[in-house]
Amino acid sequence: MTLRRCTKLVDGTIPIPALLYNDEELLSSQDGVGIYDGAQKSPNHQSGTVHVTTHRLFYISAHHEAIYSFAMDLSLVHQTDYYAGLFKSSAKVTLYVSISFADAAPEGPATLFESWECQVCAYRNPPGLSPAAARVCALCGVSRDSVPTPATVSSSSTHHLHTSSSLPSLHPPDHSPPAHRRQPSAIACPACTFLNHPSLRACEICSTELPLASVGMKSAPSSRPASPNPSDDDDDAEPARFIKISFRKGGDKAFYAVLRRALKSKAWAAGAPTPVPGDTPVNDANVRSGISGILRTVETSAQGRTTDMAAAFQDLEALMVKAKDMVRLAADLNERLTASSTVSATTSFSGETLVPSTEPEEATFIRSSLSQLGLEMSNTPVTLDMMKDERRWIEQLARELAAVLQGSSSNSRGMMKERGIIALDEVWGGWNRARGVALIPPSTLLQVVPHLGACTTPTISLRTFPSGLCVLHTPPYSHVAFAARLSGLLVLSGPKTAAGVAQEEHITMGLAAEMMGAVEADGEICRDDEGCAIKGGGAEVRFWGNLFHGYAWDGQTEVKEE
Amino acid sequence: MSFSPLATPTGFLLPSVHSAPPFFTQQPHPGTNATVQDHWITLILGYARHRKLFVLRVEDAEATDSEWLEVFRNERINRKLLPSYLFSILATMVSKNVAIYEPPGQTRSVLLYWRLPEEWAEVLHQWAISTGQLNTILTFYEITDPPIPSPLSNIPVTLLRKAIAILAKTGRSQLITIADGEGVRLFQGTGK
Repeated sequence: MTLRRCTKLVDGTIPIPALLYNDEELLSSQDGVGIYDGAQKSPNHQSGTVHVTTHRLFYISAHHEAIYSFAMDLSLVHQTDYYAGLFKSSAKVTLYVSISFADAAPEGPATLFESWECQVCAYRNPPGLSPAAARVCALCGVSRDSVPTPATVSSSSTHHLHTSSSLPSLHPPDHSPPAHRRQPSAIACPACTFLNHPSLRACEICSTELPLASVGMKSAPSSRPASPNPSDDDDDAEPARFIKISFRKGGDKAFYAVLRRALKSKAWAAGAPTPVPGDTPVNDANVRSGISGILRTVETSAQGRTTDMAAAFQDLEALMVKAKDMVRLAADLNERLTASSTVSATTSFSGETLVPSTEPEEATFIRSSLSQLGLEMSNTPVTLDMMKDERRWIEQLARELAAVLQGSSSNSRGMMKERGIIALDEVWGGWNRARGVALIPPSTLLQVVPHLGACTTPTISLRTFPSGLCVLHTPPYSHVAFAARLSGLLVLSGPKTAAGVAQEEHITMGLAAEMMGAVEADGEICRDDEGCAIKGGGAEVRFWGNLFHGYAWDGQTEVKEE
Repeated sequence: MSFSPLATPTGFLLPSVHSAPPFFTQQPHPGTNATVQDHWITLILGYARHRKLFVLRVEDAEATDSEWLEVFRNERINRKLLPSYLFSILATMVSKNVAIYEPPGQTRSVLLYWRLPEEWAEVLHQWAISTGQLNTILTFYEITDPPIPSPLSNIPVTLLRKAIAILAKTGRSQLITIADGEGVRLFQGTGK
């Protein structure tokens, strides 16, 4: 039974080139051969063709090619013998095979037709490689089973090898993997009814996924015995396992030479990873290595960060709830301090103090800490509930904003103390920062801004540029004043770029460009685009005073020519 | 900043504005742009008259071997007229009737009217009188390429036809079809 043990049935109706792995090569063929299983003739394999490839030996039966054809891995062969033949006895080649080695070949036939994705580089490896080559990712060279589900090659006594070998004991000793079927039946496509070859996963015509034939195989009892013949299993008792190829039509010498060469080159071992002795798959999937390990670490730390963040925000929310109370407390404190200081001022002459505990140093300390907390109460934020009607509220807000912008008379410096022009978004941000609580929405800011002129000296007014940019500006930055200043500047110091003007005016470049655009729209200045340069030249635009104003033609005139 | 007029190697006096870089940039402001384009048109027509150029193409702004080189490029200030700007100048010239698109039906090449067709008609008539060719049949070739150079030398036939048509209105010319093309006979005229 050596023959059955070490060979796999193949469908001989398929031409040999189609049976080969992608990296396999057909070396030689010889027809008119018979096979001996051990010393006896194998009755079913007496007339056929043998093909030797870099990886395997094929026997294709001449008459029953669908049933009695087989393939044998050359990796099983550990010794060969050649018998030249004598009289009626034809030349024979004996192949000694080691079955124990067959256990180490982990590939079930089904996996050959599966493409698989590398866990490291996510490269989808195409199917059809030889078992050794298919175990290694074609792109990154990392062994397939080194990463995901370690294919623990069980050296248990079961000869049958499953792809999902992690659960070897759960499987019944099913001895009929798809390629061993005696009657390979075609699978009808559920969509187009085309009869597909059983080894296909998707319909050849319409690519519809085919029902798995192997499922049906399992339910249908195989005609073969469920387990291998026990008498055949006592390995030690049987000294030599071999099969013989009998060459009835000659060609033996050339074939043997090719076979020897194929065995020597060991093409099946070339693609396989060099097995590291200590590299036994570690017990679980938690210990990961390589890029997937790194990715996993990153994922874990990101997750941790998200959790921390959520917790932090919860704290912040709690603080927000408390904020109002804190403001009230601060206002209360402030009120008391003011009261005490005024009282102490008025009563200092009489020598009596109504609030004896408040020392001036303590008062200043509390005040400074309050202001450090951003809870300065000299101007409590105006909120809607303080005001009776909306118009008054807006006016109050305008007054407050004016203080923020220009600085209240006493202490703080306003946002526009040193800058004549400021973008509206900055105003909004600064104002809300100054308020600290009861923030003002942009829409309210826009309502307030028109009232600003009445509460400010010098008058601050709003200007909207054609691009939609809104700014607040003092009179020196009004359009007219700026245009006049710009014209003067251009006359005095020659043409300027927008950047140059921005520097001169201490404003941002975008703002300068907007303002100069407005002046240009008046026709007061004209531009010189460097794009018109003959050589070199960038995209810089220089602005000139409008030199075409009042220009009198001083070139050649038509009259002169006449 | 002040600039001064400059004479070119061909003896043409460029205006001072030709030395100002903004002159070569298409101005976004419509009023300024109109002013600058007016200056350009004056310059182009003056130069065309000076060099007796009749045709101006958008490509002339880019070609380095163009007759217009010294007008459209100013090496001293590293500026040149962009074809896109010249294109819009040509459009303005056509709208002001100082040029027509030639050939018609496209907008990248114009025939310059540094003399209007009416003026050319008078020039043609004066020339015929002064050379004593009234009442004789002249071919177009004899007018555009006379043995003695005349103001009409190299005048495009399109323009010549327009001039002849204007003279015909006052009975001073007659278009004649002759064996190998067309000819014209000019008369003294019956008074304007």
